Amino acid sequence: MTTIDLLGTFLKILIVVGISQGVVAYLILVERKIAAWAQDRIGPNRAGLELLDRPGFRRLAPLLRPLIGLGLLHPIADGVKMFVKEDVVPGYVNRPLYLLAPVLAITMATIAFAVVPFGPVGATGANFLGFGDVQFQIAPGIDIGILYVFAIGSLAVYGVILAGYSSNNKYSFLGAMRSSAQLISYELPLGLSILGIILICRSLDLNAIIHWQDRHVWGILVQPLGFLLFLISAFAETNRLPFDLPESEQELVGGFHTEYSALKFGMFFLGEYLHVITASFLITILFLGGWDIPFLTDQAQTGWFWALVKVFALLLKVGLLIILIMWVRWTLPRFRYDQLMDLAWKRMIPLALLNLVATATIVQLVRG
Amino acid sequence: MSTPATHPPRNGPSVIRPEWTVTIDPVLQKELERHVLVTDWNKLIGLVDTIYNWGRRSSLWPLGFGLACCAIEMICTASSRFDIARFGAEVFRGSPRQADVMIVSGTVTKTMMPMIARLYDQMPEPKYVISMGACATGGGPFKEGYNVVSGIDKYLPVDVYIPGCPPTPQALLHGLMALQKKIDGETITDLPWYRRDVEREIPVPVLGPDLIDLRTLEITAERTALGLIEAREATLEKPPRIPAPQPAAAEPAEDAAPAAPPSSKLDKIRARVQGTNPAAQGDGETSAASAPPKSAPRAARKPKVAPVMPSLRWLGDEGLAALADRINAELGPGTATIVQAALLIPADKLLEVARFLRDSNVIRYDYLASLQSVHYEDCIEVTYHLDSTSRPGSLIELRVRVAEPEGQGKLPSVVSIWPGADFQEREVYDMMGVRFLGHPNLTRILMWEGFAYHPLRKDYLEPYYEGPTKVLESRVEDGQHFRGEELNPHGTNIKIPQSYQGWNSLDPDADPKGVHLIPPSAAVQVAEIDSESFVLSMGPQHPSTHGVFRMNLRVDGETVVGLKPVMGYMHRNHEKIGERNTFLMNFPFTDRLDYLTSMANNWGYALAVEQLMGDDAKVPERAEYIRVIMAELTRIASHMWSIGFLLNDLGAFFTPALYAIEERELILDLFEWASGSRMMCNYFRFGGVAFDLPDGWLDRCQAIVYDRLERRIDELDRYLSGNEILLERCRGVGVLTAEQAIALSTSGPVLRGSGVKYDIRRAAPYGIYDRFDFDVITGTRGDIYDRYLVRLQEMRQSVKILKHAVHDIPEGPILPGKKSYQIKVPAGEAYSRTEAPKGELGFYVISDGTTGTAYRYHVRSPSFINLTALETMCLGHTVADVVGILGSLDIVLGEVDR
Ligand code: SF4
Repeated sequence: MTTIDLLGTFLKILIVVGISQGVVAYLILVERKIAAWAQDRIGPNRAGLELLDRPGFRRLAPLLRPLIGLGLLHPIADGVKMFVKEDVVPGYVNRPLYLLAPVLAITMATIAFAVVPFGPVGATGANFLGFGDVQFQIAPGIDIGILYVFAIGSLAVYGVILAGYSSNNKYSFLGAMRSSAQLISYELPLGLSILGIILICRSLDLNAIIHWQDRHVWGILVQPLGFLLFLISAFAETNRLPFDLPESEQELVGGFHTEYSALKFGMFFLGEYLHVITASFLITILFLGGWDIPFLTDQAQTGWFWALVKVFALLLKVGLLIILIMWVRWTLPRFRYDQLMDLAWKRMIPLALLNLVATATIVQLVRG
Repeated sequence: MSTPATHPPRNGPSVIRPEWTVTIDPVLQKELERHVLVTDWNKLIGLVDTIYNWGRRSSLWPLGFGLACCAIEMICTASSRFDIARFGAEVFRGSPRQADVMIVSGTVTKTMMPMIARLYDQMPEPKYVISMGACATGGGPFKEGYNVVSGIDKYLPVDVYIPGCPPTPQALLHGLMALQKKIDGETITDLPWYRRDVEREIPVPVLGPDLIDLRTLEITAERTALGLIEAREATLEKPPRIPAPQPAAAEPAEDAAPAAPPSSKLDKIRARVQGTNPAAQGDGETSAASAPPKSAPRAARKPKVAPVMPSLRWLGDEGLAALADRINAELGPGTATIVQAALLIPADKLLEVARFLRDSNVIRYDYLASLQSVHYEDCIEVTYHLDSTSRPGSLIELRVRVAEPEGQGKLPSVVSIWPGADFQEREVYDMMGVRFLGHPNLTRILMWEGFAYHPLRKDYLEPYYEGPTKVLESRVEDGQHFRGEELNPHGTNIKIPQSYQGWNSLDPDADPKGVHLIPPSAAVQVAEIDSESFVLSMGPQHPSTHGVFRMNLRVDGETVVGLKPVMGYMHRNHEKIGERNTFLMNFPFTDRLDYLTSMANNWGYALAVEQLMGDDAKVPERAEYIRVIMAELTRIASHMWSIGFLLNDLGAFFTPALYAIEERELILDLFEWASGSRMMCNYFRFGGVAFDLPDGWLDRCQAIVYDRLERRIDELDRYLSGNEILLERCRGVGVLTAEQAIALSTSGPVLRGSGVKYDIRRAAPYGIYDRFDFDVITGTRGDIYDRYLVRLQEMRQSVKILKHAVHDIPEGPILPGKKSYQIKVPAGEAYSRTEAPKGELGFYVISDGTTGTAYRYHVRSPSFINLTALETMCLGHTVADVVGILGSLDIVLGEVDR
């Protein structure tokens, strides 16, 4: 790896991490707006309004006013507030673990991005200042990308478990207990449900999977059941309603993060939304063709224009998925813990196995 | 820049770093400022402040905790009509660690105060407190109550006070903006949380013999030792006591002539205003005994006597006589004596009689409607109202008398016969000190263990007590008034007996309400793994306990193996206060029982007093129709709320609830238009209603009833009833069989959900319900889903009733006579039964005929008694189910704790 590559990677890390953290802050706003929309309300729309009268800000008014009307300054205000809030570490917690948990949560959520392509990879033809083609992936060419994502995703549960355990609070503890059981159970259908598409595409490399879909059809068409199972498991993996049991507010107050305040709480928050992003990326890449737009794009197209179109297509799909996930949260009630387990073990895993066997058989027959 | 008044002048020397001050040529400075970022210390601070303050003011996350009626308005503020989210403040956090502002929304009780102080301590700085409503600010209407803290600012530093009872959502928004203004004025240089010399931690007060603030411990102990309370009370006029009613042979009217004070308080005050009666001045120099001459002319006129019957619909005189004969024949003569249309039973025969009535009588009295006690001159009487679900409307009343002195009354517990007596007996024990032998868990239910008194005894005087009626002379006189605090030697609303010694053993960590825990119930089978159960205290501050309710759970994994409801965190002394109010004054207090259904409460109370007043309060036609319209609108509003929040408890994040609130708002608009208030309507009067309907009201009501409600109910039905997850969560969960439901004295949708066709509107019709055609909806399985369905269908029936009522309502008067503020209520005893949205709402009122206040006033509250069934329903289910089951019971804490 050349220095240039290293620098490029470094730059990409910075950009991806920076953007993703910023995006998450705004995702929270989007979520609040979606909630408002689902509930026939307006939602946040006035942080910053009072600033407009201040001498220093008056000149910015025409610029700021529309932003304020959309509530775009609310995430910033929330961030500022989290920063200046007192950071309480209760006396009864297990201090090292208590401090470690949020770090773990957010790190694991972030580094999963390393292998997720957010645009075309390979000979993209998008040349950056003569340094060669830009790869829209932090670590391109890892042929077991999906395994990596799964491995890291499983580690993320430690953040939750440690938080619940170290808080020394019964609600947190119950939350952690639920979480460990839930995440471990749903790893299985999650993993099984993608085996089908992997068999079909014959690769563990996320890019290869996109390429296959580009050449043939989207994964959702050849693996509808796999898609459904994966989607449901993804809801569970990301702790979103109807599966948000580890923190179910109505039962466990705040679940595993009950005892966390200020920035540490914010880190869990960020981590959770990062998971949603990762999950949406995975769904898009595995089942919705990645950057593929049928009849329009194909792998051979190169150059900045096509690269950007592809990046945009991918991000659009991811965005829509995220909105879907949020929408569900404001629509459905929650499962009960044991029902969730039943669903995983008694229905989803058998279905996923069935799907796997059927796919394997058909693949074998077709290929002769 | 921010605009704090506390800032030093901009160009003067900085107070923080004087050495940084330099003088620059003003022209140069202007130039520099335009092109280069130049600043001085003050400006820098100003900039930091701007950002620092702006961040905090735009992101005020409230602690999700509500205390009482005001909390309902707080929730409405989050609904689509007001939308607190616009300010970025919709993120109600359940955990204090993540909240910025505590909205103290409602009555702060002594039982709750330690929790609130603890929550406050757990919030990270910077933290703010908004005191919402009259109660949080100064005790409000309940200020004199023995369990009420007269203002949260006695303990916590308050930033913004919002007046109102309750403040409207707009007022809360305004309060929020006021807080934002306050934050704008802060500067980072002198904020208390960065200063070491300011102690922000609040010592958690202790529930001892009364609520004790540890900061004032010494002085309290000293004053108690001096016996100041006892000394003051010795000078006060005590509440009079009347003798218990006697068998009919003795002339009842004569007997009822009370040893009452000479004239009603109102008369006294009028006299004082006219300056004619100096003798009535001074706190209680006129004791009952010292003023007979004045009372002579009044006492000679016998007080009017109310018609003698336990309730409007009952077994009837002949039936009762026959029943008494049967009991005497069966269980030995002298077992049952008829006293004022009720059976007087000796305490030692109570169980036999009860068993006979339930099992062998022709009419099976299987339903204990209500149980209460009265403190008479010579005894404490416990009365039981019984009804039969197979022959509804054949109500009878039993009386049992025990010794009067404190702590000596004992009688057998009837829990083994009517399990629904469980909480009610505990309440009698708590309030009157009567012991029930054989009760499985006879502990205080509303107050805490260790509280020094039994508050409903007539000889218990509240700390702010001034005289037998609530028209506190000192506070109505023009020009002069003083506060209750000034009267009580302790200066706060506490009263500790002189004999109290345990000052050194007071412990802020003690939990006198949570001590009785719950052995694992043998009824629950848990999986055969070697696991340990642990105890989880849910509430009183918890997102889904619907107020300050608490459940102590014993869980094994997630399975509930033991459960004890703990209540009293909102005990606002409704009954004690009601016994000092004049009859009319008590209406607004009934509003605040179940604050979601104030109209229904009004009706129940009006009905009880109307029963006593007889023909003096004959309700005119138009008023009867108005009453039905209001009550049914209330039912719809309440059921809407209940369904919305049931879904919320099941995890559907507020969306259904907020849609339900939209409909409720429409109904509240109607209420506001007619009565002047959204929630606390205070609209009924004895014999009618307070005002006629304004012009156009009926049209609007018609429009809503005909065009809107039905559609919305259908919509709820369509979206919710068939939802897979809802079905999964509700079917077969929290099952209550019909037998259990009857035995546990549940009522309303809970009873009917279990398949018992028992609706007071049909079982013991009141008002003009017998003219309307509607069905009594019942479920079949008695699970959460059935209770949900019953509520949904009941709304449809209500719409049906409303359609008729709105169509048929005649013109005419709305009160039998002129509007009157001087209500004369004849002596007697009445129990009214109404079908409130939550279930059977009963008011038990005894009038002595002279004082103008109720001698005894008891509320049979459906929410409270329905909770008796909670444990039965929850055992063996999971924590998540408990939340749903509680939601399906639909309790309102104002009514549970009263
Ligand atoms: S009585 Fe109820 S509505 Fe009135 S201030 Fe108190 S809590 Fe609020």
